[in-house]
Amino acid sequence: MVATIMTNKKVLFDPKSLKFLTAVSSAEYSKPTLKMGALIASVFDASHGVVYVGERASEFHGSSVNLTRQNLDNWNIIHPGLEVLEWALQELKTLSPDNEELAKIQFNPDHVYEEDGRVRVILPDDKGCRIELVLREGELVDQLRKEIQLEGYDLAIIGGSQNKRHLAHSILQYLPSSIFVLQKFNPRKKYKLLLLVDDSTATGKTIEWGALIAEKLGWPVRTLTVSKTKRFGAGYQGAADKAKAYFDSRGIEVEQFFLTGDPVRTFVEFAGDNHFVIMGASTLNPVKQFLFGSKPIKTLEQTDVPILIVR
Amino acid sequence: MNSYIDILFWIRQKKWLLIAMVYGMCMHHFVTPPTDLNPAAFDALIIISMALILIVTEPLPLPAIAMFMLFMQVVLGIDTANNVASSFMNDAVFFIMGSLMLAVAIVSQGLDKRLALGIITLTGHKTWRIVAGFTAISAILASFIGEHTVAAMMMPVGLTLVRYAHKDPRKVAGLTAALLFSIAYGATIGSIGTPSGGGRNVIMMNYWAEFGAGSVTYLEWIKYVYPMVLFQIPFTVIILLWTFKPEHSNLDSAVRKLVVDVARAGKIKGREWLAIILFILVFLGWVFLSEDFGLGIIALLGVFLYLSFGLVEWQELNRKTNWGVILLFGAAISIGIQMNQTGAAEWIAHVIITNLGRVIDNPAILQGSVSVLLTGVMSNILSSSATVAVVGPIVLDLGGDQILIGFATAIASAFGYFTAVAAPACTIIYSSGLVKSKDFLRAGWKMGVLSLVSLLGLSLLWWPLL
Amino acid sequence: MHISADMLFWIQQKRWLLIALAIGAILYFFVPHPQSLGQDGYHILIIILMTLILILKEPIPLPAIALQLIFWQVIIGGSTANEVGGYFMNDAVFFIMGSLMLAVAIVSQGLDKRLALGIIRLTGNKTWRIVAGFTAISAILSSFVGPHMVTAMMLPVALTLIRYTSKKGQSNTGLIAALLFSIAYGATIGSIGTPSGGGRNVIMMNYWAEFGSGSLSYIEWMKMVYPMVLIEIPITTFIILKTFPPELKVLDTAVRHLSVEVAHAGKMSWKEISSLGLFAAVLYGWIALSEVYGLGSIALMGIFLYLTFGLVSWKELSRGVNWGVILLFGATISIGVQMKNTGGAAWLAEGSVNFLQNLIPNIDTLRAVVSVGLSGVLSNLLSSSATVAVVGPVVLNLGGDPILLGLASVISSAFGYFTAVAAPACTIIYSSGLVKAPDFLRAGWKMAIMSVISLALVALVWWPLFQ
Repeated sequence: MVATIMTNKKVLFDPKSLKFLTAVSSAEYSKPTLKMGALIASVFDASHGVVYVGERASEFHGSSVNLTRQNLDNWNIIHPGLEVLEWALQELKTLSPDNEELAKIQFNPDHVYEEDGRVRVILPDDKGCRIELVLREGELVDQLRKEIQLEGYDLAIIGGSQNKRHLAHSILQYLPSSIFVLQKFNPRKKYKLLLLVDDSTATGKTIEWGALIAEKLGWPVRTLTVSKTKRFGAGYQGAADKAKAYFDSRGIEVEQFFLTGDPVRTFVEFAGDNHFVIMGASTLNPVKQFLFGSKPIKTLEQTDVPILIVR
Repeated sequence: MNSYIDILFWIRQKKWLLIAMVYGMCMHHFVTPPTDLNPAAFDALIIISMALILIVTEPLPLPAIAMFMLFMQVVLGIDTANNVASSFMNDAVFFIMGSLMLAVAIVSQGLDKRLALGIITLTGHKTWRIVAGFTAISAILASFIGEHTVAAMMMPVGLTLVRYAHKDPRKVAGLTAALLFSIAYGATIGSIGTPSGGGRNVIMMNYWAEFGAGSVTYLEWIKYVYPMVLFQIPFTVIILLWTFKPEHSNLDSAVRKLVVDVARAGKIKGREWLAIILFILVFLGWVFLSEDFGLGIIALLGVFLYLSFGLVEWQELNRKTNWGVILLFGAAISIGIQMNQTGAAEWIAHVIITNLGRVIDNPAILQGSVSVLLTGVMSNILSSSATVAVVGPIVLDLGGDQILIGFATAIASAFGYFTAVAAPACTIIYSSGLVKSKDFLRAGWKMGVLSLVSLLGLSLLWWPLL
Repeated sequence: MHISADMLFWIQQKRWLLIALAIGAILYFFVPHPQSLGQDGYHILIIILMTLILILKEPIPLPAIALQLIFWQVIIGGSTANEVGGYFMNDAVFFIMGSLMLAVAIVSQGLDKRLALGIIRLTGNKTWRIVAGFTAISAILSSFVGPHMVTAMMLPVALTLIRYTSKKGQSNTGLIAALLFSIAYGATIGSIGTPSGGGRNVIMMNYWAEFGSGSLSYIEWMKMVYPMVLIEIPITTFIILKTFPPELKVLDTAVRHLSVEVAHAGKMSWKEISSLGLFAAVLYGWIALSEVYGLGSIALMGIFLYLTFGLVSWKELSRGVNWGVILLFGATISIGVQMKNTGGAAWLAEGSVNFLQNLIPNIDTLRAVVSVGLSGVLSNLLSSSATVAVVGPVVLNLGGDPILLGLASVISSAFGYFTAVAAPACTIIYSSGLVKAPDFLRAGWKMAIMSVISLALVALVWWPLFQ
C-alpha cells in the first residue's frame, strides 16, 4: 500500500478540494488555534471553515431566549457567538494581509442563514476567499461531528482543552475526519515534525501530509518507528525506509529513529515538548477502540504537544 | 387623516369578521332560541356558524379562528375553561399532531428519490403507465401514511419529470396536469382506506367512541373501505388521461434523466433503513395495537423514536409542523363534542329529518343522502377534517346505524375534488402554481360522480355482506 | 465498520436514555409494587422517575420527553388516550401557550425603548439607583406579565448601557453582573406576585380546582403574596450590589447614549398605543374576569385580538413559540393529575411524612419543610413550572391547608437562583454569554436564604391575619 504511493509519487488527494474546519471558543483563548488553522489551510490550499460551538440554552425557556435574541437584534446587539465569529474573520484578515478578496469582506450580522441547529454567516462566495463561518449550539463533540458530516470536512482543528481525558477519547473516536489537536501550541516556538511510522495503512497519508507541512513551514523532520521487541519486522523497517525515500525524493532531510518499548510510552517520552506529532488514525474496530482505547487516543491523552491524527 | 385610512382599510380587510361578529351578537342577544333547544346548545350553534363564516372567508389566520372557538365556548358559558380545554385534546388531535410530525420526519429523510426510482422501474416510460403508477402508488401509500405525507414526497418526483420532459412546463400543460393530479387525486382516494389515512378518519373514530356507538378496529376499517380504494384507482387513471390528454405518450428522456439524478443518491444508507424500519413499526402498531393504545399515542411513540434515534431534529419539527392546524382541529373537535353534549347536534338532526322526511320517505336513504351530501359539499368549502369534526356529531344523531353512517361521512369528506382547499394533497399541488383552479373543476366533477357511484356500490353491495 | 462507529456514538450520546429505560423496565417487570400503593400508582411513579432522569440529563430533546410521558401513561399507566388527552389540556396549558404568544406579540412592538427611557428618567445616572430601578421595575412588571417577557424587554436596555460603559482595557465585570442579575433576580422574585406572573402559578390554581381544595381569586392571591415581593425588592438590590460591586459609581455617558438611542423612537404610533391598550385589556381581564373565564381563555382572547388587529402575524407567533415546551407542560400536568388519581401522590406524601417524622416532630413544620424543600431543590434542577407540575399533587396530599401549602410550594419554586436552567430570566441572561455559571452560585445562596426567611415571615406573620 505504502509502496505504491511512494513509487508512483501519486498524491492520493487533490489539495484543492480539501476542507478544513477550525473550532474556536473565544477571542481570548482561540487565537493560536485559529492562527495555526489558517496557516495549515494555506499550506494545503484548503477551504477553511470556522465553527463556534456555544452552549444551548435550556429548552424549557427556548422560546424566551429566542425572543430575547430577536429583540436584541432590534437594538443592534448581536449574539455572543456571532461576536466570536466576527473576531475570527477580523483575525483571518490580519493573518493574511495580502489576500485582497478577504480584505473586502465585511461582517454583517444580519446576513446569516439559519438552518436546523446551525447559523451560517453568509459571505460573498468569491474565488479568493474560501471561508465559512458557522455558529452551532449544543454539546461540542456532537455539534462538531454534525458539522463535519454535513460539509464533508477533511480535517478538524481543535484547541487543547481542560477536561482533556474525556474529550480526547470522544474526539478521536467519533469525529469522522483527520484531527489536529493544538495542545499547548505556541506560535513562536520552533517545532520539529515527528512522524510516527509503522505498518498501518494510514502511514502513507501521514507521510504525505508531513512532507507538505515540512516543505511549507521549513521544520526539520524526524520519523519514529517503535517496536515492542528488539526485532524490527519487514513491515516496520519497510515503512520507515519508504518514508525516507519519499522525503528524499522531495528533497527534505529526515532523521530516522528506531526505538523499542511500549509504543505509546515511547512516543510520549520521545515527543517531549518540542515536537509536533503526526500519526495515522487507528484502524482498530470502533468497539475495541471504545473499550480499550487506541494508540492515538492514548498518545493524545498523555502528551502535551500539538498532534495531528491523519485519517 | 392617515389613521382614518388605516381604519377604513382594516374594515375593508376584516369585513367578514365584523359581519360574523354582528351576526353572532344579534343571534345571541335578540333571537330567542327555539323552545325545543336549550340556550347552551343555541350558543354552540352560534359559535359554529360564526366559525364557518370565518373559515370560509378567512379574514383571520386559521389559528385565530381556533382560539375564537375555544374562548367563545367559555365566554358564552357553555362550559368551564378546564372542561373546554380537556375536550380540546384527545386521541384524534394526538394523531393529527403525531402524523404531521411524522410527515416532517419522513419527508426529511430524502426517501422520495428511492420511491421515484421504484415507481419508474415498475412502470417503464410510457406516459399512461407512469400516470397509472403515480395514482396507484399514491393511493396505496396514502391509505397508510396519510395523504399529506405522500403528496409532499411525490410532488418533487412529479415536478422533476415534468421539468425534464420540457423546459417550460406550461407548454406541456396536459402532461403536467395529468402527473400532478395523479398524485393529488391518488392520495385523496387512498386516504379513506385505513384510519391512519387521514386525520378525519381518526376524528370519526373518536366520535364513535365519544357517542358510544361501538368501535371499529384498524383491520375492520380496511375490510369495509379498502375495496373502494382499489376500485377507484383504475377509474381515476382513466378520468385523468381523458381529461388532461398528455402531450407526449412517451417520457423516454425525462425518465432517463430522472434515473441518473436518483442514482446519484447512492446506495441506501443505514439511517434510511432505520427510518423505513421505524415507520413499519409504527404502521404495525397502528394495525395491531391501536385498539388498546389509540392511533394518536402510537403516532407520538413513532415521533419519539425518530427523535431518539436522531433521525430528525426537534427544531426542524417545531419549524415545519403546522401548529395552527392542530389548534384548529382541537378547537373544532371540542366544539363538536359540545354540540353533542348540549343537544345541538341532535336538534339539527331532528330538524333535518322532519323537514326532509316529507320529501324522502325511506329513512335509510334519507340518512345516507343527507350525510354524504352535507359532508361532500362542506368538505369542498372547508377542509375535509374540519368538515368531519363539525358534521360528524350531526350525522351520528340522524339515527340508523351509526357506524355505517360514520363510514359514509368519512368517505364522503374525501370528495373534495373541486377546490384547492378541500384536501391537503390538492392544496399541495395547487401551491406548485402549475395547475389552475379551473383544472380542479374540469376533472373534479367526473371524480365526484365516480366516487358517489362507487360509494353507493360499496354500501349497497359490499357492506351488507359484512 | 462505519455503522458500528455510528451506533457507538449513538449509545454514548443517549446513554442516559438507555439507563432510564433500563431502570424503568427493571422496576416494571421485576420489582413488585408496594403493598400500600396500587399497581397503576406504582407505574405512574416509574414513569415520573424515568422522566426526571431524562429531564436532568437531556439525552433526547425535551419535546421527545413530553411525548414519552404521554404514551407511557397509555401503555403502562392503564388509562386511555382520550383520558390522557383530557388531562393534558387545561386552562394552565392554554395560559402558558397564550403568555408565550403574548410575549412575542408585545416584544415585537418595540415598546422596550420607551420603557428604558422611563426607567432612566426615574433613576437618574447613579449606578446603585439604576440597579435598584431595574430590580424594582422587573419585579413589578414580571409579577403581572411573567418573567420571560420582562427579561426579553429589559436585557437589551442593560446590554446597551454596558456597551457604552465598556472601554478598552478596563474590566467592569462587576457592573455587568450587577445590571444583568438585577433583571434576572428582579423578574424571578416578581413572578410569584400574581397568578399571571408565571405558568406555575396557573398550574397550581388548576390543581386546586382539579383536586377540589378550594380556590383563590386573582386579588386574593395578590393580597397574600405581594407583600413578599415588596419586601424582597430592596434586599435583592442590596445583595446584588454587595456581591457584584460595580466598578463605576455613575453611568452618565452610558445613560446619555442610551437616551439618545431611545429618543429616535419618536412619538407613540397607533400600533404601539393599540397594542398597549389591548394588553391593558388582557390584564384587566386577568384581574377581574379570571375567576369566571380562566386565565388561559383570556390569554387566548388577547392573542385573538392581536391577530385580528394585525399587530402580529401568525407566522411570527408560530415561529416564536417553542411548541415542544407546551407539549411538555401539558404532559407533566397530565402525569401530575394521574399521580393524584392513582394514589401515587398520596403514597409519596405519606411516605415522606412518615420518614421525616422522626426528625421533625411538629407536623405543620414538617409539611412546610417538605413542600418548600422539595420545590426549592427540584426547581433548581428542572424548571420551576415543571417542578410545580410534578410536586404539586404530592404537596396537596400532605394534609394541612392545601391553599397555604400550595402557595408555599409555588413561591419556593421561584427560588431557582443557583442555576441557569431554573427560571427563564436566568437562562436568558446566561445566554448573553456575559455571566458565568459560578456567578449564579455566588449570589444565589444569599438570595435563597433571603427568600426562605421572607417566606417564613410572610407565612407566619401575614397569612394568619387572613384566617
